[in-house]
Amino acid sequence: MSGDGERAAQLEELRRRRGFALEMGGEASVARQHAAGRLTVRERIGRLCDAGSFREIGTLAGTGEYGEDLELRRVTPATYVAGTARIDGRPVAVGGEDFTVRGGTSFGAQRRKGGQGGYIEDLAHHYRIPLVNLVDGAGGTVTSARRRGYVVFPGVDGFERSVELLGEVPVVSAVLGTAAGGPAGRAILSHYSVMVEGSSQIFAAGPPVVKRSLGQTIDKEALGGAKVAVDRAGSIHDAVSSEDEAFAQIRRFLSFMPANVWELPPVLPPDDPVDRCEPGLLDIVPEARTRPYDMRALVGMVVDRHSLFEIRPRFGRALVTALARLGGRPVGIVANDPKIYGGAMDADAARKQIHFMELCDTFHIPIVFFVDVPGFMVGLKAEMQGTLREGMRAVYTAGQLSVPTLTLVIRKCYGMAGMATCNKRDIDLKLAWPTGEWGSLPVEGGVAAAYRREIEAADDPRAREAELEAELRAYASPFRAAEALAVEEIIDPRETRPLLCEYLALAEGRLRTTLGRRARAGVAP
Amino acid sequence: MATVDITSEVIGTVWKIEKAEGAPVEDGELIMILESMKMEIPVEASAAGTLAKLEVAEGDSVEEDQVLARIET
Repeated sequence: MSGDGERAAQLEELRRRRGFALEMGGEASVARQHAAGRLTVRERIGRLCDAGSFREIGTLAGTGEYGEDLELRRVTPATYVAGTARIDGRPVAVGGEDFTVRGGTSFGAQRRKGGQGGYIEDLAHHYRIPLVNLVDGAGGTVTSARRRGYVVFPGVDGFERSVELLGEVPVVSAVLGTAAGGPAGRAILSHYSVMVEGSSQIFAAGPPVVKRSLGQTIDKEALGGAKVAVDRAGSIHDAVSSEDEAFAQIRRFLSFMPANVWELPPVLPPDDPVDRCEPGLLDIVPEARTRPYDMRALVGMVVDRHSLFEIRPRFGRALVTALARLGGRPVGIVANDPKIYGGAMDADAARKQIHFMELCDTFHIPIVFFVDVPGFMVGLKAEMQGTLREGMRAVYTAGQLSVPTLTLVIRKCYGMAGMATCNKRDIDLKLAWPTGEWGSLPVEGGVAAAYRREIEAADDPRAREAELEAELRAYASPFRAAEALAVEEIIDPRETRPLLCEYLALAEGRLRTTLGRRARAGVAP
Repeated sequence: MATVDITSEVIGTVWKIEKAEGAPVEDGELIMILESMKMEIPVEASAAGTLAKLEVAEGDSVEEDQVLARIET
């Protein structure tokens, strides 16, 4: 009988300790979190993941307070909640700082639960499942030195695992509060990140440190709100207007991803006919070469209906990067936007293209380039931003891709920016619409430079320049290039979808032979 | 009544102004066309109202984020 009593006491202690975990930082602290328009980490996990799927790990971790009788008074839970769960039926590792406990500052224990080198990262690594970080914390605090008696060396807490994961499993971060220091860095070490406009900020260091270091007075929203972190810096990929929207973005992103790099991305039964020929594609490109058009609408007509998921829409806007499906198969879309600088590649657009190509290459997602690029962006500002170097990094990265690619030339494909839309290690299949044109540089401008003396010597220099332009433009016909197999095929725009679906289906067999981690070699420019 | 600033998304020049000061404008209506990177960049009203002020003239150079026009709603 006494054995039963002991067992009942053990179960009672387990129940009590679990209760402390669920209380988090206490009623007042939770109320403050809600008043700030934010959810608690447990609510976040509940809303992000499939109902009832969360299996917590380290529920009982925390700081116990014991009386002189060595009886437990209470436990302040660890500042991180973590475990496994399912999203759309597929397993993930998920965790986040609990801001209601000591502002989510790092929790030092025998073994860390979250953050860099936390147990959550080991879970994702061991089971080869995606990792979702729900970031809401400021990282280390100087007060921990007082407790420890010494200061930790940066990165000792297993930074290498954070890096390793980026080549193994999808890593996603949602910034849901004010993130500085370690958690901010952890948010960046991800494949996709999202923040909530107005209620989340991210920076290397917050306003008090800025004030102390530079004498600069700035509030946290102006320093690290979405307008800086997403639109200007591109530190975070997207901003949405609520936490629920952030969770929806995460679920959507993961729906395109394999669980790990040893698997193919998930193929869904197509809900849109693969042989759909879209008549709207015929006249979407205006006859006047100087008129822009809606590239997103164009891509939307080609891919499976409702499948287009744009990544980083507010950064490097001369370029559209999106995940989508063609015949149910995930595909990465890299498309130039002629409405922004005629689609010219600037430094930000190059950075965006590089990250996106590496993402697709890592997770075996074929890339289709929808090309309308007049070249690198020109001008003093573009030069000072490092357009040439960033642009050549894009060319270098494109040249290292091992995932199958297709180049679809919609209109312009010029110069080195054009090179970044081709993959010479691959079969380099280039399909062109009849509106396609390409070369080292567009005829306009090129003529003035190459024939300067002849033009200057003419009786009517402007007329001579126009004559030369007309003559050279005749050579620029895509059909002449097709004669020389300089472009593999010219297609009727309406045939675009059936053809892309077919080539993507073919690519699947090839993808199966190249699963696993990507080797990286060389020095990027 | 509020004033909505219409700003330039690009560096370039003002090619054609399509609306006169004082004209009524619909949301999304064309106000002017800029030229940048040899492309015609349409500038559209982001709100319905009256085109209260044009801040640029045809041929002017414009910078990114420069105010081109103001609409009173």
